Amino acid sequence: MFEPAIIITEIAFTLIATILCFLIFFKTKESYNLTKHDGIRYFRDAFLLFGISYILRFILELIFISGVAFDFIIPREMFGPLFILGVGYVSTVGLWYLIFSSIWKSFSRKSLMIVGHSTALVLSLISFFLHSHLIILYVQFILLIIGIVLIFTTGTKNKKLSQTKILYILTAFLWLINLFVIDKNGPHRMFGAWGIWIDTFFQIISIIVLFIIYHKILHWLK
Amino acid sequence: MNKKRDRLAVIYDILDIIRQHHNSMKLTPLLRSANLSSNSFSDYYSELISKELVKEIVDDGHKYVTLTDKGFKYLEKYKLISGFIEEFEL
Repeated sequence: MFEPAIIITEIAFTLIATILCFLIFFKTKESYNLTKHDGIRYFRDAFLLFGISYILRFILELIFISGVAFDFIIPREMFGPLFILGVGYVSTVGLWYLIFSSIWKSFSRKSLMIVGHSTALVLSLISFFLHSHLIILYVQFILLIIGIVLIFTTGTKNKKLSQTKILYILTAFLWLINLFVIDKNGPHRMFGAWGIWIDTFFQIISIIVLFIIYHKILHWLK
Repeated sequence: MNKKRDRLAVIYDILDIIRQHHNSMKLTPLLRSANLSSNSFSDYYSELISKELVKEIVDDGHKYVTLTDKGFKYLEKYKLISGFIEEFEL
């Protein structure tokens, strides 16, 4: 059953998550402008894209909810797939960029761009035609596993599980969780009333992770 | 790991040399002080010019290199930026 509290929680979560992502992007602007460092570029672009993804995710969620929540109905059949296409493309490139920020030294920029954008395009088109945001979720989960392997095998000379790597993995993993739960009639309805509390729990953890990243950036780039 | 970080450090060193010479230096002494091969120096110098960290000025028919505001900013922020790069393993 629809509860206004869900919408309020989602608006608050989307606002805070998006603002934190954009703050990370803008706070690193000067460092990038001074150095043109590729790692900084991938890092800040990843958070810009995550910020946009969280906005698109919220709109997509509104489209899912609108069918049961309001007297009027946003034409899901028309807008749903379009936003699935947007979420799929933007978030997949964001996920790749976060991985690239750690492994870029081992590959040419051109090959990273080709891999990142072509997989994002193929994935988003498949999700668009199948009308399923869950396809994005499953494929991004596989990409995340590949990314973790790449980070530990070809990334920095520090191959150990550092606090930064944990934050990167959590950022990506929590994005997947937050994408999983947007359809309130989706597979996680099996949790019943607990589903909403589980959603909120992961939203709070997501905000904490983004805030820790932003706080660490502030420490260096005041 | 640190081809790029080394690159940032070399850029810092070149800019610091110019600053220590009252922000005005001819190219040949700069090349000597930078302790780089001429090919390598040429690469870095092109990068410094393209990133607008230094600019060339001509005085009495001689060409001098000076830091731009951006160059001074780089020197000021370098340690923090390299700390940030290291912390985030970029």
